[in-house]
Amino acid sequence: MERSNKSLRRLLDRLFVPMTVGPTLILIVTIIAYPVYRLFVTSLYRTHPITGEWQFVGLENFRRLLFADGADGWLTVFDPSFVAFTRNTIVYVGSSVTISFLLGLGVAMLLDRDLKGRSWIRTAVIVPWILPYVFSGLMWRWMFQAQYGAINGFLLRLGVIEESVAFLSNGTLAMVALIVADVWVFTPFVIVILLAGLQNVPEQLYDAAEVDGASRWSRFWNVTYPFLKPSILVALTIRIIFDLRALDIVWVMTEGGPSKETEVWASFLYRTSMEFQNAGEGAAMGVLMLAVTFGIVTVLYTFFSGSPYEQ
Amino acid sequence: MSTKPSTKLARLLGIETGDEWPDVVRERWIAYGLLSLYVIVLWFPVYFIFITSIKPPGEAVSIPASFLPTEPTAANYVDIFTQRPFELYTFNSLVVATTTTVICVTLGTLTGYTFSRYDFIGNRALLLTIVGARMFPPIALIVPFFAIMSDPPLIGGLTGSLYDTRVALILTYIFFNLPFSVWIMKNYFDGIPVSLDEQAQIDGCSAWEGFFKIVLPMAKPGIAATAILAFIFSWNEFVFALVLTSTESSQTLPIAVSLFVADDFIDWARLAAGGMIAAFPGILFGLFFQRHIVSGITRGAVKE
Repeated sequence: MERSNKSLRRLLDRLFVPMTVGPTLILIVTIIAYPVYRLFVTSLYRTHPITGEWQFVGLENFRRLLFADGADGWLTVFDPSFVAFTRNTIVYVGSSVTISFLLGLGVAMLLDRDLKGRSWIRTAVIVPWILPYVFSGLMWRWMFQAQYGAINGFLLRLGVIEESVAFLSNGTLAMVALIVADVWVFTPFVIVILLAGLQNVPEQLYDAAEVDGASRWSRFWNVTYPFLKPSILVALTIRIIFDLRALDIVWVMTEGGPSKETEVWASFLYRTSMEFQNAGEGAAMGVLMLAVTFGIVTVLYTFFSGSPYEQ
Repeated sequence: MSTKPSTKLARLLGIETGDEWPDVVRERWIAYGLLSLYVIVLWFPVYFIFITSIKPPGEAVSIPASFLPTEPTAANYVDIFTQRPFELYTFNSLVVATTTTVICVTLGTLTGYTFSRYDFIGNRALLLTIVGARMFPPIALIVPFFAIMSDPPLIGGLTGSLYDTRVALILTYIFFNLPFSVWIMKNYFDGIPVSLDEQAQIDGCSAWEGFFKIVLPMAKPGIAATAILAFIFSWNEFVFALVLTSTESSQTLPIAVSLFVADDFIDWARLAAGGMIAAFPGILFGLFFQRHIVSGITRGAVKE
């Protein structure tokens, strides 16, 4: 009895690694690798318009996605609508990431000091990030609502405008509204990441810089920045990647409208595959996004390797 | 120019150190002012949707918008449960988020521990595969996920596809949260001294006993962080729920809230009430477990 118990124990111990890693691995392979495989396969097929059968079309979906109809060959003209929603994506992601980064850095630096009630402020700051994005998107749609919205309410009371403004019906204003909402949601994330980085800066270095009479700017550049670099890169990577692929806010606020002026990659992908049931072209867009994401990760990862953490 | 006493001295002396305010004190008040302004701007929209949720529908659409409800009412909250199946949406959200959390925390803890402690063949490549899975843009996978969930079942005897079931959502959310859970837990275990495990082994514990009795209890804060984040992410998820569900038998609260948006008319007062219910766990966790959430994000994102 004693002996069989012991050998069972030894067997269980020997199986510790496979038993703890195995299930996770199997799950991840089935729910990620298999869909990724299906994504690539789907991107090479189209449903026949008449028979509804699946047809292998090679890279045709990519050609339709990227290049203007009627263009003969690959290296001709880019599809104007592809150019338009790619430009929207860049404007949206670029502005929103830049603004939330600068704002987040400012708030993090204000919080990185000995303030009474700091923990309360941090609590108040974190909440917007963990609300459902649908909630936040609809909330901002309500804020910007054409007649009864709070922003029109303010502007009317202050006398800035005479009549309500239909923010979400104007392409430029709708894009501004999306960026405002996105900055509102994600600045807290930037604050948390950068604050964690700021707290890793050794206090003595600040004291030393002060003794040396370094200016504020030089203190930031020579003391804070080198330590903050890894956090900055993490914040930027995650912000960029998330904004590129996030659909929630855009979809509930504008659905890509008015007249596609806020259409971004994510909303195009969703519309193509779900509304127009064009799985092949939707999958091609998915493959493209995958490639772009990996590109960005690789570029930013290269920056990473010089960080003080890695040593 | 004012002289500049140390922070400690300024605190001891208070503000009135001389004719001028010392820089440190003035700076602190500026910091307070700016931070308060930011917090007010940050919370105003939440306040606005909250007061909308307790306004009678008629008052919600007054021009210009009113910022204080004249007749607060709970009618909108009652309505969404009586006129719409909000109890089902809430139940679905709870089942999906809880199940996902339990699976992700259990597997994430076990796997994270092994990656933190054991050197085995291909461990780095495996960890990279698991963590790299987090980098996938989920939306790129809506086409295959929709197709797979609509496929007829692989195993005979199962009736129907997984489309429009809570199981479909749970599987999807495991894909979102498991890699992240493994990563947070691995980093958490890295911070617990290995000497504890070694001592347990010397005392005759098996690998399992050492893990469960000695190391696991020390990892509670990490487990809390992982659980809170997995729960919140699953509770909040919208896009996949939109694609993979179609009836109230599996639709979750974010979908329920989005259903208030009709093409030309939005019932803002009731939408606000539904939104507040969907936002409730976020607000609750944010207010009471901020510390765990922050440690979870920073461990998951920045390797310390």
